[in-house]
Amino acid sequence: MANQLALIQNETLKVWKKKRFAVIVLILLVLVPVFVYAQLKIAENNKDKFTDWRAELRQRIIDNTNALSSDRVPEEWKKWRVALVQQLQYDLDHDVNPNTPNAVTFTNSFLRNAVGMFIPLMVLAVASDLVSSERSTGTIKMLLTRPVRRWRILFSKLVTLTLYVSLIIVATAAVSYLVSGLVFGYEGWREPVFVGFRLAGSDIDTADVHAITQGAYLLMLMGLVWFSAMVVAILAFMVSVLVRSTAASLVTMMAAVISGAILSNMASSWHSAKYLFNVNLDLTVYLQGSPPPIDGMTLGFSLAVLGVWAIAALVVSFAVFTKQDILN
Amino acid sequence: MKSKKSWLWPSLGFVSLGCTLLLLFGFGWALKDAWAPSAGIALPGGTPQPVATGGAWEDKHELLVTAIGDSLTRGTGDASGQGYVRGTVDRLQKALGKPVKLVNNLGINGLEASNLTIRLDDEGFKGAIAQADLLLVTIGGNDLFHVAQNGGSLAEGGDIDVQLLQTRLIGLKPRLETVFRKLRALNPNGRIVYVGLYNPFYDVPALRESVGAVIDEWNGYARRLAETDGNAAVVPTYDLFETDVTRYLSSDHFHPNADGYARIAERVAQTLE
Repeated sequence: MANQLALIQNETLKVWKKKRFAVIVLILLVLVPVFVYAQLKIAENNKDKFTDWRAELRQRIIDNTNALSSDRVPEEWKKWRVALVQQLQYDLDHDVNPNTPNAVTFTNSFLRNAVGMFIPLMVLAVASDLVSSERSTGTIKMLLTRPVRRWRILFSKLVTLTLYVSLIIVATAAVSYLVSGLVFGYEGWREPVFVGFRLAGSDIDTADVHAITQGAYLLMLMGLVWFSAMVVAILAFMVSVLVRSTAASLVTMMAAVISGAILSNMASSWHSAKYLFNVNLDLTVYLQGSPPPIDGMTLGFSLAVLGVWAIAALVVSFAVFTKQDILN
Repeated sequence: MKSKKSWLWPSLGFVSLGCTLLLLFGFGWALKDAWAPSAGIALPGGTPQPVATGGAWEDKHELLVTAIGDSLTRGTGDASGQGYVRGTVDRLQKALGKPVKLVNNLGINGLEASNLTIRLDDEGFKGAIAQADLLLVTIGGNDLFHVAQNGGSLAEGGDIDVQLLQTRLIGLKPRLETVFRKLRALNPNGRIVYVGLYNPFYDVPALRESVGAVIDEWNGYARRLAETDGNAAVVPTYDLFETDVTRYLSSDHFHPNADGYARIAERVAQTLE
């Protein structure tokens, strides 16, 4: 066991020394201010145009209702808009402002938007060359000639990956909170937000709707984002075991993640696409209660699909890594 | 180098382990909340929403306007998207020399009077009505004409059946009365301006008189409601679309175009100045 801990320590420090995490934090520090600025512009614009947030909310509801009446809007979009209108209406009727501009709501919306692409890319920066880099630099021989079993080595890398994924998610939330707070203020943890909207056909069922604090909402979001980030990480981990070149493994995973984002936008009539891992990555839709990319997807379903993919990837990774021959 | 390593690993290890546990907790909480929802926190009591005060407009430092109704309120047919509401607000601002603010444009394409009365019961929308010093209303056109989507034939009058118009008119009157009553209940002090209907088929000889008679009756009825109310007005638009209809109607031959809306806006502003 002490042996295993030493391995994990070794792997964790190796990744740290590669400065990957530092690069990720740097990227966040550059990008988040950009989004904060954009958000600030929107807030200023709304302040000019509307007497208060209720007026803005009402206008959003009316605008979306008008868009619904157009025949040119595809059915799936209509569904999404109907859900949105009903949620906004719920907020308005209960006098709860869903978008008070503060650091917590900003972080929430940043995480919701980041779960599909941004977070996976950050995770890939660490995961993609975890094993393949050892092979391309040849250090894998040093590693494997030590008197430890191969699965222990791979396991230590997996634990390291988990630790870094957690760090990335927390760092993303922390940077976005700290930076946006400079502009919007650091309050907002205790403000209410509604969760529990369920889709029932083309309508929204509000029977289970209840209010939680924005802080609790943030923590739940981070948990869900972490789960899908872990699945991406584990898949990248497998690819990194299978493919020698770091570039190839990175590109493979990026292609998979990006095609997932594209598919989610257009594949709602291709029902079997819901068994792909990449359309299931956005678990936050279930928390918000917006319609999932494909009919029939639920939180349980997505978790199961992602879980099966992750377990399969782990089985493949360990089976291949413990068996494969290392040549030159 | 040796000393640097000694603090790096413990701190890195514990911080990342802490993050992992925190996220696992968040994940578990999200699942629990989704599958076994809690009662939820109590909502803070709603802050009271502003209500329009009565009194002369001259004494106010700014005027609040809310527009409700159908596609005319929305501005359908106006390529610039301004509609008569924006035009009216701009003109009023100039004429009164004080800020005139549009609270909301609650126009919905294809809205009928019966749906409008339902919307007026909606908690969220009551606030917009209540705080307005001026309420601009257009309603009734869809109820009367039930514009079919096959806009092409509208230029020839579409499938307008005058007999049917008469029947609809009778059913529609009490609904307009309800709209006026509900608006007044929500906002006891604001001025209500109802924009009268025009005859989009004035250039169709077969329909000019018969449809015109129905619209006349409708506008007359609206005017009587406004007179009963005391603080309401009906702005006639019928004569604006008598000469050279096509110049002021958009390509669907039903909604006004930008010029048509501008003329309506001018009228509305004139009655208010």
